[in-house]
Amino acid sequence: MASPNKAGGTGDRPDLFTAALFIGFGALGLWAGRDLTLGTASAMGPGYLPRIVSWLLIIIGAAIGGFGAVRARVDIARPKLWPLAIILAAVIGFAFIAEFFGFVAASVWLLLVGSLADRDSRLREVILLTAGLTTFGALVFIIGLGVQMPIWPF
Amino acid sequence: MNFVDLLMLGFSEALTPTNLGFCLLGALLGTLIGVLPGIGPTATIAVLLPITFYLPPLAGLIMLAGIYYGAQYGGSTTAILVNLPGEASSVVTAVDGYKMAQQGRAGSALAVAALGSFFAGTVATFGIAIAGPTLSSFALSFGPAEYVSLMLFGLLAATILARGPVLKAIGMILLGLLLGMVGIDASSGEERLTFGAVELFDGIDFVVIAIGLFGFAEIIENLENVEARGILVSKLSRLWPTREDFRRAWPAVLRGTGVGTLLGVLPGGGATLASFCAYSVEKKVSKRPQEFGDGAVEGVAGPEAANNAGAQSSFIPLLTLGIPSNNMMAMMLSAFIIHGITPGPTVLATQPEIFWGLVASMWIGNLMLVVINLPLIGVWVKLLTVPYRLLYPAILLFCCVGVYSINNRIFDVALAAGFGLLGYAFRKAKCEPGPLLLGFVLGPLLETNIRRALTISHGNPSVFVERPISLVLLIATAGVLLLMILPSFRKTREEAFQEEEA
Repeated sequence: MASPNKAGGTGDRPDLFTAALFIGFGALGLWAGRDLTLGTASAMGPGYLPRIVSWLLIIIGAAIGGFGAVRARVDIARPKLWPLAIILAAVIGFAFIAEFFGFVAASVWLLLVGSLADRDSRLREVILLTAGLTTFGALVFIIGLGVQMPIWPF
Repeated sequence: MNFVDLLMLGFSEALTPTNLGFCLLGALLGTLIGVLPGIGPTATIAVLLPITFYLPPLAGLIMLAGIYYGAQYGGSTTAILVNLPGEASSVVTAVDGYKMAQQGRAGSALAVAALGSFFAGTVATFGIAIAGPTLSSFALSFGPAEYVSLMLFGLLAATILARGPVLKAIGMILLGLLLGMVGIDASSGEERLTFGAVELFDGIDFVVIAIGLFGFAEIIENLENVEARGILVSKLSRLWPTREDFRRAWPAVLRGTGVGTLLGVLPGGGATLASFCAYSVEKKVSKRPQEFGDGAVEGVAGPEAANNAGAQSSFIPLLTLGIPSNNMMAMMLSAFIIHGITPGPTVLATQPEIFWGLVASMWIGNLMLVVINLPLIGVWVKLLTVPYRLLYPAILLFCCVGVYSINNRIFDVALAAGFGLLGYAFRKAKCEPGPLLLGFVLGPLLETNIRRALTISHGNPSVFVERPISLVLLIATAGVLLLMILPSFRKTREEAFQEEEA
């Protein structure tokens, strides 16, 4: 995947990836709905339409994959794992910390860890921003709008 | 009550201090995110949706609507001054607007854009006020079969008018439909597709999907790309169009308003489609097409009027039929549902203050926006210098608090993070996430109506072609599909979208 478009050959990678996602979700839908009652057209059970939609999704996915396979080669833009992993970790950490230690701790975690995602971040700015946004969030969301979350861990 | 009485009712609702305040807040927020590249109205509304739960219904709706049309005003400022379209809908404005700014006519371009938008907003507001009652009385005669055909038409037409490959968009709709089926089945009480997770019995919350796909995924994507920076050209001189610019702009504004109002109503239409169509219309009818791309005032006036008109008239199908036509309207639909209101013909009859209050607030909001944008332009320009590294932590915090506050549980935040990952994967696969949202909100409605229609007809699918309105809609759907297969139409469609992306 080093040299996009120049490598020659066939296979539109974004399309093939789309096909894999669609077929995967369609199959997942069929598998998760395998025990549901189908019913008949006049008295549809809960499984009737999910099964139709899952099959349609698989068919569309296969069609995209089929067309994509014969098209000229296009590569997927190279993913950068750093921002992706950092943002997801910051968000999930926020939820757990908010549950057990309250808003202030969670917000500080989210903003400090989240700031690592951008390499331009400067320490001074991050600290000021974290303090400001945490205060703002506590005042507006928890005191102002009444979001159900303790502010402090104790 | 006659038309004038209803309009008066609307204004009396919209002019209460609370509603006026939220209208101003929406207009300000809309301008703000319109000016800032990297934050769009879709993400903003997704973030603010859970918060509207704490507001009175009308106030929340007024604010969200203000954000959508306010973003159209703000987006043009950035497009003209720094050649960086703040929103997708102002991409074409940047072409001629930035050239005008380079020629020292920035003030003229900004004024034409703002005044054109205001005029278009006024016309589109009247359009909603007139079309609303007419269309909704028509919709009252709709049975389940008509609704099924209408939704099929809407969903398919939306894929064609939206950008990107049609097959992928259809796939995204199907995935949205599938996600909408998760949870307890309303008619049998059986749980389905939940993988046994108790948290999913109530279905996936709309906010979780919207924030994951549009909030988190967008932040991650923006962090990946090196920040695009524009250069602010020259100082602003006079903020009023010259006589010559004015004379050339007003017919373009009229045409743009017409194009925008019409295209906004179509499924999948809205601000973005309207603006680039208006640009090609202007180029076609102009006597001096060679000036386009080189600072033609019509190239600013037409698209700017059109995107504002389109942003507003896209409310028509939602408010009258209860069917959202694009992902922005899908958000608005869930804002209604948060308050237990199902938009559609019955709201107009039982809660006229909601419909007319919203319509009146749109006109007031447009008036506010002219004031916010013209004399205060300097303030917004300063904001352009705020770097993304200071913005995204704030967005991240709002997203997290928003998702957590729906049910106060970790599960929703983790699920939203999962949708963030999925949204990121879809961006890598070059799939637009918009249609998924549309499928997700329409899914339950579509399923209920299909089941109802077939139960009434004892399982006979001919019910869909025997009812005249349903038949017409299905023929239209087939026609749209046929158009897609025609190579000549596909070519024009691709060219049209290429022009938009260029």
